[in-house]
Amino acid sequence: MSTPAGFDELIHPATRLSVVALLAVTEWADFAFVRDSLSLSDSALSKQLHTLEGAGYLEIQKEGGGRIRRTKVRLTDRGRTAFEGHVAALRAIVDSAVPVNGAAQQQSHAEAGR
Amino acid sequence: MSTSVDAEQAWKDLQRIRVPQERVYDEFERSASGGRGMTYGTAALMWVFLAGVGMDLPGWGVGLFVAAYVGLLSLLIVSRSRRSRMQLHHTRCPGRMWAAFGAAAVLVGGTIVLADHLTEPLEPIYAGLIQATAGVAAYLLSLGPANRWAADSVRSGGGPALDEEAGR
Repeated sequence: MSTPAGFDELIHPATRLSVVALLAVTEWADFAFVRDSLSLSDSALSKQLHTLEGAGYLEIQKEGGGRIRRTKVRLTDRGRTAFEGHVAALRAIVDSAVPVNGAAQQQSHAEAGR
Repeated sequence: MSTSVDAEQAWKDLQRIRVPQERVYDEFERSASGGRGMTYGTAALMWVFLAGVGMDLPGWGVGLFVAAYVGLLSLLIVSRSRRSRMQLHHTRCPGRMWAAFGAAAVLVGGTIVLADHLTEPLEPIYAGLIQATAGVAAYLLSLGPANRWAADSVRSGGGPALDEEAGR
């Protein structure tokens, strides 16, 4: 099955999708907040963030020093556009399959819409 | 490399997107309800400010009170924002948030004007104390419901894209 336009291979893996989804509704989020919200280890999150940063999807900003040092993570415009495109692609896949999985999808849609 | 995704997987991914976003809304709701320190800090500042300006001070005295109030309030807000763990994206801030803010301001302002009118026959010092107490009481009573009302609207569709898309 071919994937629709906008489908982003980089965002697609579950952990990265969760990270980008969280950042998409924030201006910025603290590293610790992202880590705790997604129940990830520091190293696992750090690895995913650097992959996304390398693609220009997010910015990592370190502030302060010593005990009050904090790391803020922010989705870039490019990352936001990629995420929106990816969500649209996922939706297109679901919509295109409604005749096949009609009953199950419609039930799920109804539940999600409540 | 190309990944093939079937509809069921795509649907699961759309649902997965909602989970971390719910954590963000939880955090927003938690911070909107406000810590006791912030609530009572702003209330105490407001009381001192209102009591001060209600005492028929000269122009420079009122100016001093306003400057001190704005400065201390800014300090409180900056200190709180430094402690916050995330900031909601501006597209997720619904009109209801601003409506709640405006309604609370009108309520507090209206209470002060009404208290001013009712305490006109009293000595300025007593009138100022009553106005300040009434204004702060209105502020404290309206803060909780206004915050909860605004936070509820963020979760129930304040933003544009994802909730609608995942909910289809």
